[in-house]
Amino acid sequence: MQRRTWVPIATGIVALVFFALPSEEPLRGFLPDWVSLVLIYWTFALPARMMVGMAWSVGLVVDIVSFGLPGAYALSKAVLVYLARVLALRVRTYPLWQQTIVVLGLLGIEALILTLIDFIVSGDLTGLQRWTAVVVGALVWPVVYWILRRARHLARLGH
Amino acid sequence: MNRTRSSAIRGLSLYVLLSAGLITADHYSPVVRQIFQFAAVIGVPVHFLASLPSTVLERMQGKLEPTDQLRRNYAALREHNLILQARLHRFEFLESENIRLRRLLSAVPATAEKVTLAALVAVNPDPKGQAVLINKGSADGVFQGQPVVDAGGIVGQVTRPGMFRSTVSLVTRENQGISVQVARTSLRAVIYGGGRNRPLRVLYLDRNSDIRTGDLLVTSGLAGRYPAGYPVALVTAVERNLSESFMNVAAEPTSYLGSEREVLLLWLSALDQPVASDLLDSEGELVD
Repeated sequence: MQRRTWVPIATGIVALVFFALPSEEPLRGFLPDWVSLVLIYWTFALPARMMVGMAWSVGLVVDIVSFGLPGAYALSKAVLVYLARVLALRVRTYPLWQQTIVVLGLLGIEALILTLIDFIVSGDLTGLQRWTAVVVGALVWPVVYWILRRARHLARLGH
Repeated sequence: MNRTRSSAIRGLSLYVLLSAGLITADHYSPVVRQIFQFAAVIGVPVHFLASLPSTVLERMQGKLEPTDQLRRNYAALREHNLILQARLHRFEFLESENIRLRRLLSAVPATAEKVTLAALVAVNPDPKGQAVLINKGSADGVFQGQPVVDAGGIVGQVTRPGMFRSTVSLVTRENQGISVQVARTSLRAVIYGGGRNRPLRVLYLDRNSDIRTGDLLVTSGLAGRYPAGYPVALVTAVERNLSESFMNVAAEPTSYLGSEREVLLLWLSALDQPVASDLLDSEGELVD
């Protein structure tokens, strides 16, 4: 059975491009962090294959692409994937709506980390948009789940 | 299971420490930032792909624009160009006169002003919306702190010059200041960004300063960062509080702040160096 391992990587790159898409003012707060959602999905689906180090590198790439604070997204994605790994075996059996709540929690923790880093570095607590992105991200989870599940079947990546 | 759990936590702590190390190193040394700017090259294909939808949409819109609209735009541009050419002649005359006067006052030679056109890359480099990305980098000579202007006035300065792409921090960026002067009175002040979609603020102006709504604030060129004379903002509100010794002045930036596609990068010439200060009195006027 041919295992197409480039598929998860491809979905990650697509997520990165979506992350960098320009958006007009009113829309900007309503775009979720696609990279986080994709990372969460692949961690739930293949917890043994998803390493925290990989997530850290992905976060570093996001830092580079978004010209953000070096190390911020690296940290948040690493923690995100670690927690997702811990929860993966349990959450996989949950119905979709329950998964959505877990995703909300995970994205919320990531937003908390990023806000904390922001606060420590620049004493800056503004930034409601991060939180609306968390909510939208959780709402969008079922769609992401459905699309990536198709991708996973196409890639013939079992457990 | 316990063994793998604790080793997993150790693995995570390693990455947490690594990230914390990166963040602190970045805080104390510009080297990390420079490495990242170098690594930003890998972001170029991502940004290219991400900007595709916008550019394709624009091209399509361009092709769909009706011919008479295009003709009218072209005619208006030609007329505007003609007016600007005429103004340019006068400007060149004033510039050479200025060079002669400066030679009389000091020995600083004048160099020609250089500009470079740059286009905005259609991505959002900053979630807070206080920066834009342009398609020129250190490979084109862009340097840290380089001033950026558009048709309306000062857009901001280059804060992160990458090799092919640079981040421009907008004037609205919080706590970023520009030294300005009131066009009408030559009153000097410093204007600070107040965040996206918030007015700029002029701080520390004495209560009795002569400034009113509608005043144009232009760069004074004093800090050596920006060349003098470029519009920055229009005063929208002046509040004199009886209890405070300073007044609150709010101003709207004159620049289009990245909603236009093209911007200009400026190189400072010797003309932008302020005249030797011992020749000026406290008002900034020449001493006899």
